[in-house]
Amino acid sequence: MDDVMKDRIEQLVDFIMKWCLWQFHSRTWDRERQNEEILTKTMQLLCDEPLDLSTPSDRCYWVDAVYLANGFKKTCPWLDTMDKKDIKLLMQGLKERIDYLTINGSLNQELTNPLY
Amino acid sequence: MPYHTFKCSECIPERAMHAVIKGPGEDLTSCLPLGYLNTIPGTISERGCAFCGAKHVIGAPMKDVIHLCHGPVGCTYDTWHTKRYISDNDNFQLKYAWTTDMKEKNVVFGAEKLLKQNIIDCFKAFPHIKRMSIYQTCASALIGDDINAVAKKVMEEMPDVDIFVCNAPGFGGPSQSGGHHKINIAWVDQKVGTFEPEIKSKYVINYVGDYNIQGDAEIIVDYFQRMGIQVLSTFTGNGSYDDLRGMHLAHLNVLECARSAEYICNELRKRYGTPRLDIDGYGFEPLSASLMKVAMFFGIEKEAQDIIDEEIARWKPELDWYAKRLKGKRICLWPGGSKLWHWAHVIEEEMGVKVVSVYSKFGHQGDFEKGVARCSEGALAIDDPNELEGIEAMEILKPDCVLTGVRPGEVSKKMRIQYLNIHGYHNGPYKGFEGWVRLARDLYNAIYSPIHQLSGLNISKDEIPTDKGFVTRKMISDVNIIEDGKTPIEERPYTGECDIVTRLRGKKYPKLEPQQPLGMVMEGGEAING
Repeated sequence: MDDVMKDRIEQLVDFIMKWCLWQFHSRTWDRERQNEEILTKTMQLLCDEPLDLSTPSDRCYWVDAVYLANGFKKTCPWLDTMDKKDIKLLMQGLKERIDYLTINGSLNQELTNPLY
Repeated sequence: MPYHTFKCSECIPERAMHAVIKGPGEDLTSCLPLGYLNTIPGTISERGCAFCGAKHVIGAPMKDVIHLCHGPVGCTYDTWHTKRYISDNDNFQLKYAWTTDMKEKNVVFGAEKLLKQNIIDCFKAFPHIKRMSIYQTCASALIGDDINAVAKKVMEEMPDVDIFVCNAPGFGGPSQSGGHHKINIAWVDQKVGTFEPEIKSKYVINYVGDYNIQGDAEIIVDYFQRMGIQVLSTFTGNGSYDDLRGMHLAHLNVLECARSAEYICNELRKRYGTPRLDIDGYGFEPLSASLMKVAMFFGIEKEAQDIIDEEIARWKPELDWYAKRLKGKRICLWPGGSKLWHWAHVIEEEMGVKVVSVYSKFGHQGDFEKGVARCSEGALAIDDPNELEGIEAMEILKPDCVLTGVRPGEVSKKMRIQYLNIHGYHNGPYKGFEGWVRLARDLYNAIYSPIHQLSGLNISKDEIPTDKGFVTRKMISDVNIIEDGKTPIEERPYTGECDIVTRLRGKKYPKLEPQQPLGMVMEGGEAING
């Protein structure tokens, strides 16, 4: 991953950390689901791909994804210059980084507690 | 390493990982304090207990309920009325405190008979109230009184009453957070699904994790009702016992305060498939986003946008007036609870004040993740601070104001650092667009108080000038403001009323038509409304 891509991912991470809450559910299994569902839907919105909104949960993830996609576009004008292939790579990198910060590299000792 | 050791805690090495300073390039994989562990012997914690977390924080804001503590009177006294969780039924829950007043003989011989008689006496004393919560305390838990059995017996004898039992004695966790957990699970286990409230709208939510401090919850519920949304229950500020029994019928749980209430949202998600949406209720930008998210879930974006536009047009010029005068001021954001992360970023963005420290007395590491993620570099985050650490932090950081509760606030006042009560509030509500301006006003009044300037004079030895007039707030706050043609003329100090909540109670909203159940198929294939 080149430095430009890393820098762009950090800008997206900064937006999520400052303006979102969904990434901090209490347990690993919940964070994995949140990160996967919301970031996948955000990628689909940014790439104009169809989304599955068939369940209330899907709508809930979609709501956060729309907020994220709009926020990304507003704060990161360079997104407009990227093609869909690169956006997918960017979002994959973002997903890995968020997973690392909130799950794999997290210092939160309660993440694997079987209770809430 | 980002860990910060207080000089006063050098003799307590176990405190070494309970405070961090967010340095350049630090993220959550390197900078996070420990949290929600047993308080370390030798350091005097300012925490509340699990009973306090269950009764005082979560349960007692329920408005149409007799909240009976089964224990010594002191437990009740210590959990009574220090938070102004008002209600629209004449503050019934604030006016009275109930206790079985256990004594030594009850501890020796058991207190179940005493409890039963007290329950009956309470219902006789308040015949219009048919609902009760009973809270266990250390004393009644240690002797093993079977509160559930007593409650069941009374309900058999008095079929028109309903009783909820909360077994969260003081030792039920390392802090009040343990009590939050216990009462959430107890409520969903015992009561959710036992009452069917009338569904009046296509859009139905539970508003979870707000305790209606000075009317906070009523402000947000007003926005939702203006959007045509039925707020089935508010957990638990200004909440009705029976509405909270019907939480399972909502289409969406809108969650405001995570660690006090996410448990019930998670259980409702697991048992009934109701999705959980976490929102920020403070600050113009986050609140606007939150209202829009809820609206998008139901497909009523225009209704939300109309409210956002109206509120921002009305209140933004007043927020800007204060932001201009607060810019660059330094605050310690020591709320103890969720405002740690609700405000850490947005108060800096929208009021221009710099958050130099955050702390929580009972927060989990998850709470600190949110706070540290949102803080700027250089902020000091402290878990479970004691009074000496708080004093040392103020000496190092030199804040202009400390936003905290009464006990640490009084300490800061003695150090000649202004404080703003953000537990019970000074002049709230602080939620909502207008509420955010009220917070800015209170912050401004605190920092620029002329009396505060005078308080530094020692009249026993300082020369008191007698040739100078009284210094007003404006003379101090406006010295660096350059008024020019670019200054918007509409900017002004707060023009709202003293009481902004009472008038909402008689307000008319768009009529909601009774709805057929939607029969929405939720996660796990359960049809929750059919």
